[in-house]
Amino acid sequence: MKKLLCVPLAFAMLGAVSITGCTNKDAISIMGKESDLNKPYMKQIFEHYKQSTGENLNIIAVKDAKFEDKALKRMGTKRAPDILLHFHNADLNRFNVTQNFLFLNEEEWVDELTENAKAYCTDAEGRLLGLPFWESSVSGCYYNAKLFEENGLRVPTTQADFNGLCESLKNKNITPILWPADGCSWMAQFGLDPVFADGEEGKETLEKLNAGEIGYGDIPAVTDMVTWLDNAAKSGWFGKDFLKKGWDDISPALASGEAAMTFIWDTWFYTDFTDGKYKKEDFALMPAYMGTAGTFEGGNLNMMMVNKNGSKKEKALAFLKFCAAPENYNVAFKDIPTVSVFEGQNTNIQSKMVTEAAEKGEIERYERVSTASTKIVGYSADDMMQALNALFRGDMSVAECVKRMDENRIEKARASTED
Amino acid sequence: MFKWSRLPRWAKVLIGSLASCLVVAIIAALMVGYFRFIAEQSQTDGERNLREVYSQVNGSYRKLMRRNFSVLDSCGEYIILADQSDEVTPEEFIKQKQETWGFTDFYFLNEQREYYSFKNGAVGEKPLDNGQQELIENNERIMASEKIDGNLVTMFATPYRGTYDGFAYTAIGISYSNEDMAKALNGDAFEGKSDTFILRTDGTVLLSTQVGGGAIENYFLYLKGTVDDSRIAEIKTNIQTLCEGSDYHKSPAADEYGYLTYERNGEQRCIIYIPIGYEDYALLSDVSFTAVSQGFLLAQRATMRVLLIIFSLIVVAGGAVLIAYIIAQSKQNRKELQYRERMFDVLSNNVNDIFLMLDPQSQRVEYISPNIERLLGIKLKDARSDIRVMATCAVDYNIIIPNDELQAIPIGSSRDWECEYMHQATGERRWYRVVIYHMSIRGMEKYVIVMSDRTLDKQLNKRLQEALDAAKSANEAKSNFLSNMSHDIRTPMNAIVGFSMLLERNAGDEELVREYTRKIMASSHHLLSLINDVLDMSKIESGKTSLNVEPFSLPDLLEELKIIILPQAKAKEQDFSIRTKGVPPDEIMGDRLRLNQILINLLSNAVKYTPQGGKIDFTVSKVEDAGQFCKLRFLVKDNGIGMSEEYVKEIFRPFTREKNSVVNKIQGTGLGMAITKNLVDLMGGIIEVESEVGKGSTFTVELTFALVQEALPDAWFRRYVTRMLVADDEEEICLNIREVMRGTGVDVSYVTDGEAAVDAAVKAHRHKSDFHVILLDWKMPGMDGVETARRIREQVGPDVPILVLTSYDWSDIEEEAREAGINAFMPKPFFTSTFFQTIRPLFAEAPKPEKEVPAEAEGALKDRLFLVAEDNELNAEILTEMLAIEGAKCEVAVNGKIAVEMFQKAKAGYYDMILMDVQMPVMNGYEATRAIRALEREDAKEIPIVAMTANTFAEDVKNALDAGMDAHLAKPIDMDAVRKTVAALLEKSAKGDNK
Repeated sequence: MKKLLCVPLAFAMLGAVSITGCTNKDAISIMGKESDLNKPYMKQIFEHYKQSTGENLNIIAVKDAKFEDKALKRMGTKRAPDILLHFHNADLNRFNVTQNFLFLNEEEWVDELTENAKAYCTDAEGRLLGLPFWESSVSGCYYNAKLFEENGLRVPTTQADFNGLCESLKNKNITPILWPADGCSWMAQFGLDPVFADGEEGKETLEKLNAGEIGYGDIPAVTDMVTWLDNAAKSGWFGKDFLKKGWDDISPALASGEAAMTFIWDTWFYTDFTDGKYKKEDFALMPAYMGTAGTFEGGNLNMMMVNKNGSKKEKALAFLKFCAAPENYNVAFKDIPTVSVFEGQNTNIQSKMVTEAAEKGEIERYERVSTASTKIVGYSADDMMQALNALFRGDMSVAECVKRMDENRIEKARASTED
Repeated sequence: MFKWSRLPRWAKVLIGSLASCLVVAIIAALMVGYFRFIAEQSQTDGERNLREVYSQVNGSYRKLMRRNFSVLDSCGEYIILADQSDEVTPEEFIKQKQETWGFTDFYFLNEQREYYSFKNGAVGEKPLDNGQQELIENNERIMASEKIDGNLVTMFATPYRGTYDGFAYTAIGISYSNEDMAKALNGDAFEGKSDTFILRTDGTVLLSTQVGGGAIENYFLYLKGTVDDSRIAEIKTNIQTLCEGSDYHKSPAADEYGYLTYERNGEQRCIIYIPIGYEDYALLSDVSFTAVSQGFLLAQRATMRVLLIIFSLIVVAGGAVLIAYIIAQSKQNRKELQYRERMFDVLSNNVNDIFLMLDPQSQRVEYISPNIERLLGIKLKDARSDIRVMATCAVDYNIIIPNDELQAIPIGSSRDWECEYMHQATGERRWYRVVIYHMSIRGMEKYVIVMSDRTLDKQLNKRLQEALDAAKSANEAKSNFLSNMSHDIRTPMNAIVGFSMLLERNAGDEELVREYTRKIMASSHHLLSLINDVLDMSKIESGKTSLNVEPFSLPDLLEELKIIILPQAKAKEQDFSIRTKGVPPDEIMGDRLRLNQILINLLSNAVKYTPQGGKIDFTVSKVEDAGQFCKLRFLVKDNGIGMSEEYVKEIFRPFTREKNSVVNKIQGTGLGMAITKNLVDLMGGIIEVESEVGKGSTFTVELTFALVQEALPDAWFRRYVTRMLVADDEEEICLNIREVMRGTGVDVSYVTDGEAAVDAAVKAHRHKSDFHVILLDWKMPGMDGVETARRIREQVGPDVPILVLTSYDWSDIEEEAREAGINAFMPKPFFTSTFFQTIRPLFAEAPKPEKEVPAEAEGALKDRLFLVAEDNELNAEILTEMLAIEGAKCEVAVNGKIAVEMFQKAKAGYYDMILMDVQMPVMNGYEATRAIRALEREDAKEIPIVAMTANTFAEDVKNALDAGMDAHLAKPIDMDAVRKTVAALLEKSAKGDNK
């Protein structure tokens, strides 16, 4: 989800060049956002496919802002692409996946996927919606380890420690957590993942929520999280004017030492962070504590989804098989900083932060597949942030905020059903 | 002696300010001193509080240490013993101890840095760091913070060797969760606004009362950046020093502590540290100073509140006094302001300048002088509510400056312009010089507008300009006049001089002498008329001409005109007629002389510029009758040469004559029409001219006259004349006579030819109802008036009076007419008064009019002796010679005084008459006349005195008569006029009518 919003934006700013594929009649068509299709590993796999098979590809790159509308208009028509590149998020619900896409649970390459990747691509009913072919990362609380050391601070292991840490940092005039409330909507979902991902209880809670049997207000952990966020904001742990801060403010604040922590993902340090007084090597990963269990969120992945009604669906499935082969994805992801999506993925680079966390066994202990944003029907990060910002501004109480979040979710869910 | 009241205001203000400052400074100094004292006391008090509280906490912690090490000591021995005993197993013993002392786990530790957890029953690694391990190896007790299974615990350990469950150990230990241990540090002290640590000299935190307890790993590093490094080093050193000799087996000594204060995020905090008597560990508490010195701070706050209240009261009291003073001052200022405003209003009401003050932004009127209503007719409230109302008074809207231009005037500058305004009610116009000042008054922008009345200046300037124009015009006229005069005077003078030379040369030739003399006289008369006109014109233009208004007879005037003009017209065989329309009045009030002059000018011109055999009509009509006044129109119409359109525009300007061949041959001064126009203007009338070249001209003069209310002789008419017959070929004249006679009760019948007249008269006679009067036109087609009269007489007899009405000189036919039976002649036009005067003598009962004895002009001067008062020798000689020609003598006096003396010396009746010049040296003519009339002699009142002067205006005549003279003769002397005047006066004198 976070990449859905941020990576295209970053590439757009860098002035990505759009791909215009040829229009060979026999070639399968792949439709996606311009910025997504411009990713080096995507271009690499397309090129590798062409060279290896002699087949051509019809790449349909759509301006990011118009992608959802165009894709929606084309699906179900003769102009629908053979393969659609889409994240597993609330917007996908509008595409009527049952009617438009093949479910891929029976494909040979399914076992090649890591469990987290597989879980991400599977819907609430256990159907594998697409082949995840995307860079992956670990989201969590990234902190300035050097700054901690300089100030005699210990890395917390509990929510209480984390709260104490925040207070200690604030006393030192350091913004404990940079929370860019203006437009960076992914953060709240970290705290929700443990609620819906952990064990049978979480699964049951998710099912009841999606079935409309319960709402957010019926889930104490959701209220706990919102309460903690409210307290953090009021205690000054998010710093001054955090409601006005956005994507561009994260890097400078962390690099200067103005802020000590933020909720983000590791590859962000390789794509968007600019070294300052502190460098990316100075940062480390710890679980995000947001009033719920400390957690890392697994990657949010772009999936290749096969048009169920396309005339070249066999060819499209063959293309997916080609992409899922170790000898091919290892070519595409060579030297790309990402967490492995495939079991045999070995040419990619893993970030120092994730490596260190993995070495301490924390990845294994804390990582959860992205659950809230992908599995809650009607979940919208923007809606969540809108409600939370109203809470932070003092426009509503915690209970009202939770209620607003629920109302937004239900409205979105209804809208997707109507679509 | 000093007196406050004698001080000037500025000195009072200065002294008052200084005194106030001094009081404030003293209060401030006292307060600063007080607060310093409080601060010092609160520091001392805080330190004491902290020491007391944390000495107790420290003591408790030492006790806890002692107890735990004691527990370990007892456990160490007992476990070994228990291991060998069957009564109590080591497990039971440890559990008992755990239940008693509440530790979380019991450990067996070996030299390989392994530990055996009694709780888990398993072996773990690295519970202690290397330093601690060394301590164990050195047979020392240890107390350390460890992270076991992810949780921070405080471990107490002591060397003991043994084997438990096959695990050979060199030390045993117990652990407590840090959360539990922290309770011993009394984290709730000072309202929880404290963080208390057990730490080492290097800052490593063993235990913390912070939330979670594990956030700060090294306190001194944490302090870095907030507290100076030197002070941190000082703390370290102090702790090190304090730790030496400190023993946890004892309570801390009273002076066994360190203390400092610092500021964190604007909050004052204090740190106290006390060694715990174990290695380099110390208890350190970081507390909010507010919490520590709460008592003092409360006292301080209370004091501040009291002081604040006192200060507030002082301020309020001072403020009240100040406000009262300001109000009083304000009242005084307001009164002064009102007085000034009132004064200003009064002043502005009495001047014609207008003052305004506007707000530039809103255009709101903040002041406007009340005289605006008087000066411009704008109501004050209207002007106050919307200043734009003033624009409605501006004569020229374009002159009003637009608002954006006004706003462009920089502050401190002004702009001015002139504008003409018109009073809204009266229409009176006023000029203002408007000056607008853009100024800042007490930081507020204002427009101050002063409108200075420049009306008088403008009017004066206008008059000056007019005077200047007039002067220029006069100068121009003068130049033109001189130029024209030069030409017009030189022309007859040339003839006079030239013919005089010829006369001298040909004195022997009688015929040439007569011819030259006649031409000299003609030129002289022309020159004289020119001079008369010029003087007349000059008099009129100088505004010195006044009208001599008196009753006069219009018929007489017309008769005189006829007498003057008819011969001229007759000489050119022109048809000249005088008519009346609309019953003009007989007697009117006016300046007969001037009217005569106007009409003679017009008629003379008509004769002059109408060719031989032309026609001239002179019509007098009444155009308006308004009770006591009537407007008469005099219309002179000819069919002469006419005038061009261009010349008609110039005709009334002096010295203008149309330039064409015909006109050039006709003598004229070019002043006649200008004089005429001026006279008409003087009489309040109008003169208009219509003309066309070759077709003739029509001059119309309209003048208003007062009527002389004279009772018509109605009774006489009713008695003698009730029926009359009029015969005239022009029916219009007949109708006019009927109209004129309407008011008299006379029944007028008319016929338009002689035969009809005869028939009507005979017919009436036969019916024995003769007409009482028959009025016949002389010149009728067919049978003329004389013949008609003869026929009527033949058939009707001599009783009916027959009159002839004519425009012509009837002297030639008078004899024939009387023979034909005509009783009398009547001039045209017909007037009632003339008619009455003519017919009244014809009726027997009517008194016969006194026969007028005409003065026998011829020979009137013969043998007369004149006293001539004349200072000019030449004039005296001429007069002497001319009188001599007439057979008269004269004696000359060279001034008035001599004339008086000569008359006085002469016997009564010695002189027949005195001819008196007016302008003379020593004594002028008027004075001399008065002196003579004042003499005590019989003939002084009776002797005729005639003014002979070049002063010929009406005023001069009047002055002469007023002085006692009997008549006025103008120079140059016209001997005919002299003869007639002398004859008339002598006749009067003979009758004793004089005086």
